[in-house]
Amino acid sequence: MLTYIIRRVLILIPMAFVICFLVYLGLELTPGDAVSHMINPDAAGSMNPTQLEALRQSLGLGQPFHVRFWSWFTNLLQGNFGYSMSGGVPIANIIATRLPATLELAAVALVFSTLIGSLLGVLSALKRGSKTDSALTVIGMLGVSIPEFFFGLVAISIFALNLGWFPVGGRSMPGYVTLWDRLPHMVMPAMVLSIMLTAGVMRYARSSMLDALSRDFIKTARSKGLPEWRVNLLHGFRVALTPVVVLIGFRLPVLIGGSVIIEQVFQWPGIGNEFISAVRSQDYPVVMTIALLSVMAVLVASLIVDILTAVIDPRVRLGE
Amino acid sequence: MTATQDIAISVRDLKTFFYTNNRCNKALNGVSFDIKKGKTLCIVGESGCGKSVTAASIMQLLPTLSRIEQGEIIYHADRGDIPLHALEKNGRHMRRIRGAEIAMIFQDPMTALNPVYSVGFQIKESLKYHMKMVGQAAHQKAISLLKEMGIALPEKRVNDFPHRYSGGMRQRAMIAMAMACSPKVLIADEPTTALDVTIQAQIFELMDKLKREHGTGIMLITHDMGVVAELADDVAVMYMGNIVEAGTVDEVLRQPTHPYTKALLASVPVLGKGKNQDIKAIRGSTPDPLNRPKGCQFAGRCDFATAQCQTMPEETHITPTHRVMCWRYKELVPNG
Repeated sequence: MLTYIIRRVLILIPMAFVICFLVYLGLELTPGDAVSHMINPDAAGSMNPTQLEALRQSLGLGQPFHVRFWSWFTNLLQGNFGYSMSGGVPIANIIATRLPATLELAAVALVFSTLIGSLLGVLSALKRGSKTDSALTVIGMLGVSIPEFFFGLVAISIFALNLGWFPVGGRSMPGYVTLWDRLPHMVMPAMVLSIMLTAGVMRYARSSMLDALSRDFIKTARSKGLPEWRVNLLHGFRVALTPVVVLIGFRLPVLIGGSVIIEQVFQWPGIGNEFISAVRSQDYPVVMTIALLSVMAVLVASLIVDILTAVIDPRVRLGE
Repeated sequence: MTATQDIAISVRDLKTFFYTNNRCNKALNGVSFDIKKGKTLCIVGESGCGKSVTAASIMQLLPTLSRIEQGEIIYHADRGDIPLHALEKNGRHMRRIRGAEIAMIFQDPMTALNPVYSVGFQIKESLKYHMKMVGQAAHQKAISLLKEMGIALPEKRVNDFPHRYSGGMRQRAMIAMAMACSPKVLIADEPTTALDVTIQAQIFELMDKLKREHGTGIMLITHDMGVVAELADDVAVMYMGNIVEAGTVDEVLRQPTHPYTKALLASVPVLGKGKNQDIKAIRGSTPDPLNRPKGCQFAGRCDFATAQCQTMPEETHITPTHRVMCWRYKELVPNG
């Protein structure tokens, strides 16, 4: 198992390299560059082309594509993420302020959706065909099919504008120090982010649980005279867990990469919001760093999923 | 008739119906038999005749859309007679009997064990719930059970997961689990159908040993006539939810009276008779269980059917132990 994990971690490096290269190439192929976004079109008209060219050269944009990519990559290996082209701020600082905000939402959404989603899914499966099950199924379908931004806007309209329970957006206000102060800001974005994930987990947990309950070993467990809770939870749910863990694991990178839509709707100062503005201004170093972050999140999440599945299901043997 | 104290479970006029799409399938239509202590009762019949439903009825493990409509299942426990049919399906009383006093093993050992728990864990579950045995004591008991079932290196194997066991070993582990609390009755629902022939013989030998050494009453569901001849003390032949003929193994196999039993026996190939032997398949096929013929269920496929067969024949005793459900049994009794 340990050699397997080491091997998987080592594989991460070339994979991250290749994916970063592709993202860099994609950015290169988009028309315009950072300079054309930095200078207001009206001002650009009155500017001297040599001045613009000088600005390009000073940002290193004059060099060929592969040279720029290589210098970005070697700097990265030395722990230097570079500087934002539009603000000149070290990217490490940007990530350091943005990432906690995103992780905060992600953690709440993940914990909430895992617990509530599995609970409702199992309940739905155990009460199959009942009114509870039908109601949960309908709610689940709604949760899966209605887009997040719609939930976000409805929530803002009802709970922020009409009822005034929560602030419309943002993460903090001047003078807020503790997490407790910021809690009201977090409620709506975290809940809306949780809805989709919860609905997905619930649907998955239900079908996975139904599948497990129909298996022969459930009848065996019952024929041994075990109490129903033990039959359902120890024998049923334990087996139903594997697909649910896989689902949750693969949602992890989406949450860490920042839920772009939720962060936009609630003006949440997270990675997703930063990503949007960086792409708009063709701020290569920032886009690349966030892309790298997402890539690592995907790769690490899949490694975690593999390890967890092996822990849950003894039939899975890693690296054999 | 056998004295009551020798009987472990008696089933009387059992009717279990299935309800699907507002239609009723009379899966068991009045079934009576006794499982005797220390004896093997074989229930034979073709697929869908109600063998497994009988087992599920006794264990109260029927699916949700079915129920026992009528009749009794009496378990003659040491502490008095217990009407199993009246107990709540997954209630405390039923659970106390299940696994402890009446245990069951299933057809396919590949799927009947939970893949995510070790074999030892699954055996110890029974010990924990019925005998309050935990920790080292339970562990040692699990090892000795596996050893008794002929599993090599039980100390090591007890911690293995089912996927590391072969098919035959899994069925042995299932039997170990079923025998964990020394049940009075073991119900085996086609325990060897999924196994190859050599393993089958070993499993049956094991069950026979348990019967002799522990005095366990066995109800063995099978459709293999060879197995019946080998293991059974009593035989009940089922067809479409009825026991058409029942008796001791000698009576049923040597003097088959019901046309269905005769046809069934005539359709079994005999080893050593060569490839030109005359195997008579039973003509026609089983009727639709949701749209049953009137009267005797076998009449449509029977060479002896008459107009009288439009009504259901009564159960008639030829000898005190041998009974048959056929209007014309008198003409059909072999040797007069």
